[in-house]
Formats: sequence, structure tokens, C-alpha cells
Amino acid sequence: MPRDRYRSALDDLRDAVVGLGEDVVVQLETGLAALESGDPELARAVIDGDDAINEAYLAVESDCIDLFALQQPVAGDLRFVAASFKILTDLERIGDLATNLGRYALAESSESSPEVDVVAIGREARDAVEDALTAYRTRDVELCREIHARDDRIDALCQRASERVVRDLVERETGNDAWAVERLLDDVSRLLLTVRDVERVADHAVNVAARTLYVVEHDSELLY
Amino acid sequence: MSKATSESTTTAERTTTGETDERVDPEWSNYEFEGTPKMAVEDLDVYYGDDHALDGISMEIPERSVTALIGPSGCGKSTFLRSLNRMNDRIRSARVEGSIRLDGEEVYADGVDLVELRKRVGMVFQNPNPFPKSIRDNVSYGPRKHGDLETGLLARALGRDDGDELDELVERSLRRAAIWEEVNDRLDDNALGLSGGQQQRLCIARCLATDPEVILMDEPASALDPIATAKIEDLIAELAEQYTVVIVTHNMQQAARISEQTAVFLTGGELVEYDDTEKIFEDPESQRVEDYVTGKFG
Repeated sequence: MPRDRYRSALDDLRDAVVGLGEDVVVQLETGLAALESGDPELARAVIDGDDAINEAYLAVESDCIDLFALQQPVAGDLRFVAASFKILTDLERIGDLATNLGRYALAESSESSPEVDVVAIGREARDAVEDALTAYRTRDVELCREIHARDDRIDALCQRASERVVRDLVERETGNDAWAVERLLDDVSRLLLTVRDVERVADHAVNVAARTLYVVEHDSELLY
Repeated sequence: MSKATSESTTTAERTTTGETDERVDPEWSNYEFEGTPKMAVEDLDVYYGDDHALDGISMEIPERSVTALIGPSGCGKSTFLRSLNRMNDRIRSARVEGSIRLDGEEVYADGVDLVELRKRVGMVFQNPNPFPKSIRDNVSYGPRKHGDLETGLLARALGRDDGDELDELVERSLRRAAIWEEVNDRLDDNALGLSGGQQQRLCIARCLATDPEVILMDEPASALDPIATAKIEDLIAELAEQYTVVIVTHNMQQAARISEQTAVFLTGGELVEYDDTEKIFEDPESQRVEDYVTGKFG
């Protein structure tokens, strides 16, 4: 088939996006493990690891721009490069959210946090990211739609978790201990942010699935 | 490679008519690259009678890569290409000043053997121009003409007859030009019976048969359909692993797709910018070059 170099550049782009995604999943898992264990080493590892993610992101983004400028992709190739360009941003954002988890883990201080298993929800979001990468790599449209459907469950879990955190705030007895009030507010706001970030991870996974569906079927149903 | 440019010369003043009053910074065409220059052009001026076709061109062409020359009609890019192997010598009114070196040797020095020069710096033209002979004879024509097959020394040393050597050369050249599989069962058919794309690849095989070091291509795919064009473009990429390729093309997308570096000539026979192809198509220094590559020129 003609245009060997071009086709191999498209293959390289797909591999690079998947490679970045896999690195981001590792970051995400490290952030969740830091939250789970409270291990400051893990927390610092995920924070320090973000620079490499950002560098890889910029390099692949530059590859996309080269493909646009030099190869002028059209039709399915255009959708693939354009979607990959957007997916890269989603993956980079997931990397940022993973570092947030590391920062929350470092800030976690007390044993008084409400009983909310945000790590378990985070692992569901991580699975969604992994599946979205698989869908992108294998052009699996059914998996794309399944990831979208699964997001409703993650949203519901996050909603319940947030309500639980707020309820805990309302019900908590702190008396006149100003320090205890301050600490409770810190815990609550950090937990709400954690829940929000985990939910956003899953939203980015849905974005990856939506762009993949657009690539394969020129179908924008999940984009809007 | 990006280069520092002085502020005074990077700004193009755009008039209300959309034209620019731009001063060309010599740094824009001072392309720095890693590797060895195969050809070096310095202060080249070419005149056709009173017409100043090329104005003080200086550029180095890296070996084993594809260098594209682009620009509007009449900008001098084909004149420049023909200067590289002194094809302009055939035009009576043409006058060339300046220096062109091939591996450090002056191409325009007195006593240069033009046949030998054009063997080292071969050329493929816009329209496929096979001889009205068999496919085999088209490919073997150059080596026969240059006397490479006359001595038969190699053949005798290997205990074979001259026919083996000829067949080997024909096959090797046709394979390198990516056409062997399509013609190997009809080498004695007339070349004019081939399709346009096949004829052009045959012409490339004919060029390769003389074992050139540099291949000049003047719009080699402009007369071909998209599929034949894609085959030629793939072939050019493969050839660049072994040869230095310089290609003139009106098709900017083709230049973007296949070249490592691009030189932009604009009206008046001036080389305005010469750089990595990515740089030319993503962030050129010259406003006029940007207007040209984005199709807003003129």
C-alpha cells in the first residue's frame, strides 16, 4: 500500500497516545494508593511524576501538529488525528488530577474523616480510563458506549459520597474547639475535592471513549 | 532549525491590498543541519539574456535526504535545479555566475566532464520520457552510453558473460525504482506501452542505472494520478536512504509530505527561506512565505 511513512506515522501516534495513557494510569493508581495508605513517599512520587507526563504530552501534541501540517490527513485519518489531539488533553488532565490525589494524601491528617471509600470509586474511574484506552487502541465502539453508561454509576457513587461528607460535617460535634472546627472544615473540603477529582477522572475517560466513537463511526452522540 | 533573526527584518508591513513590503533576512535561508552537505551553492546568479532569473542564491544541500524547492511559477526554482548539473548550459542565452560544488569540487570549473557530471547528478523530468525502445533497453541505455558495460571486466572476472551483468543491472535498477514486480515478465516490451506512472518509475530506474549520487526531479508526479503519485512519493522516500534527492514541485502538500528540508523561492529569483520542512510549514519566518504556503500569495 502507498504512503508507508504516513501510515507508520499514524500507527506511531496511536502507540504514543496509548503509551501516555498507560503512564497516566500508573500515576492515577499511585495517587490512589497514596490516599489509601497515607504513604508520603507514594504521594511525592505521583507529584514528581507529573513533569514526565507533561513532557510526553507536549511531544505527542507536537507530533499531531506535524501530521496536520505535513500530511494533511482527511476523512477517517483526519478524525483520528483530531480526536487523538483532543484525547491527549484529557489524558494530561487525568495526570493532573492524579497529582491532586497525591497532594490530598499528604494533607490528610486526622482519623476523624468521614467513612467514605473514595479510593474504591477512584479505582472504578481508573478502570474506566484503562478501558477507554483499550477502546481507542482497538476501535471498540461497544466498549465506548459501555464506558459512557458506566459513568452514570460513578456519578451516583460520587454524589452519595459528597452527601455523606456534608452530612458528617453537619452532624459532627466540635463544641467550642476552634482548632477542631478548622480541622474538620479542612478534612471536609479536601474530601469533597477528592470526590470531585475522581468524578472528573471518569468524565475524562468518557471523553476518550466519545472521541474514539467519533473516529470509528463519525458519530458524535457521546460528545454532546 | 530555528534561527535568531533581527527584529527589524522579521516584520512584514502589510498594506491595505494585502501585499507585503518585506525585507529578506539572509538568516532565513542560512539553513544549519547536521550531517554532510552534498552540494554547496554560493552566490549563484543566472541570467537568460537580460533577464535575471536567479539572484544571489546560496544554500547547502544535505546528502541522503530530500530537499524540496517550492515557489510560484517563474520564481527560478527549475532554473536552480537545472544549474545543479549544468543543464542550463544547453540554453544559449543562459549565463551563470557564482559557485556550485559537488563534494567540494566546483561544478562550473573549466574542464569539467559534463557527461560524468550528469551521470553523478541525474535528472528526472516532469513528463515521463522513456525512449521508444524496450523496457530493458531504456534501463541499460545510460550504462551502455557511458561505457560501463563495454569492458566486460567484471563479467569476465566472475566467469559470466556480459549478458548476466546487464540483466543484473536492469533488475537492480528496476527494483530500486519499485517497478520490477510490474514489468519483470515483459522486459522486451516497448516502454511506451506502460502507464504514465510506470513510465515515470522506469525513467527513475533509467536514472538509477548510471549509479548517480544526486537525483534532481522536476515536478516528477505532476502528470500522474493520485495513486501513481503516491507510488512515486514512496519511492522518493526510499531513494533518499541512498541518494541525495532534490525535487521541484508546485504541489506544496507534496513538498510537506516527502521532504526533510524545503527552500522557498519567490518572484524575482530570490531564495527567501530555507529550513526544516516542519519549520517552513508550521512557523516560517517570512510573512510572504507564510502567505505562499497558506495559499494567500498574490
